[in-house]
Amino acid sequence: MKMVNAFNMKRAAAGLRRINLDGLRWRVFDAKGQILGRLASQIATVVQGKDKPTYTPNRDDGDMCIVLNAKDVCVTGRKLTDKVYYWHTGQVLCLKHFSLNIDIMVYRYVGHLKERTFKDQMAKDPTEVIRKAVLRMLPRNKLRDDRDRKLRIFPSSEHPFGDRPLEPYVMPPRSVREMRPRERRAMVRAQKAEQQQQNTDGTKKGKKREAPEESA
Amino acid sequence: MTRIKRGYIARKRRTQIRLFTSSFRGAHSRLTRTISQQKIKALVSANRDRDRKKRGFRGLWIHRINAIIGKNKKKQYNRYSNLLYNMYKGQLLLNRKIVAQMGILKGNCLLMIANEIIT
Repeated sequence: MKMVNAFNMKRAAAGLRRINLDGLRWRVFDAKGQILGRLASQIATVVQGKDKPTYTPNRDDGDMCIVLNAKDVCVTGRKLTDKVYYWHTGQVLCLKHFSLNIDIMVYRYVGHLKERTFKDQMAKDPTEVIRKAVLRMLPRNKLRDDRDRKLRIFPSSEHPFGDRPLEPYVMPPRSVREMRPRERRAMVRAQKAEQQQQNTDGTKKGKKREAPEESA
Repeated sequence: MTRIKRGYIARKRRTQIRLFTSSFRGAHSRLTRTISQQKIKALVSANRDRDRKKRGFRGLWIHRINAIIGKNKKKQYNRYSNLLYNMYKGQLLLNRKIVAQMGILKGNCLLMIANEIIT
């Protein structure tokens, strides 16, 4: 991964010449502990320039987005094991051509549906996860590639843009929904088991009140 | 009856159309038959889009108003819908075009008004 990091740094600063206007701001997103999709939708809004009053649909005027700590992005539910990225490669032909004297076997590349789970993708390249999520939220038009160029994603907190005027992006407050009854019972049971291991006295029921019911 | 050629009536008619279509791409400005068709399509589009333009701009203004209202204020209801509702309630008869222009040029003005209106 260290080799990849070095490569990323050089590649991350490249391509800046292609981006025309530098009246753009540099917004920094911290992905640590953020949910993948919710973060990606905010990034997509900023990269399109939709939070500016001078938004024009035929002109790409989004801010430069830097995403840090991409390896710490979270997903809910069972997506860590169950979310699969699919893509299709190659041609499915595999010809064997037998001529009279010579056996000529012509193989095309046998490609087919490839898949990779979320966990494996995070192990291989965590920036791709966020990049795919954001790209698939952008409108599919001619500006999509330019907007992709404005996204710089880094797996950790280091980035080569330290000398630019960076602005941190404050995510909008989020209301986490109540836990489902089965989940909550499981959590309560787990906490009780933990406590019974720790305290050999009576079991306290006060920990039940700490359910995550934050609503902002 | 003697034979009478029609002369250049058809050509006169077609040169007018050709002038209209002179900047079109490829065969659409060169071949006679396609020129007639393309002129009709162009005029149809122009007619239809004159009304669409009005719709399009209104949507763009609404978008822009939403962008500037939602971004800067830290009040609870910082949305376009709330702004319009309160504007109608307070009988503030500004149309969306003007409000969007205010948002671009004099953003602080608009935010001051919005702060006063939105409860």
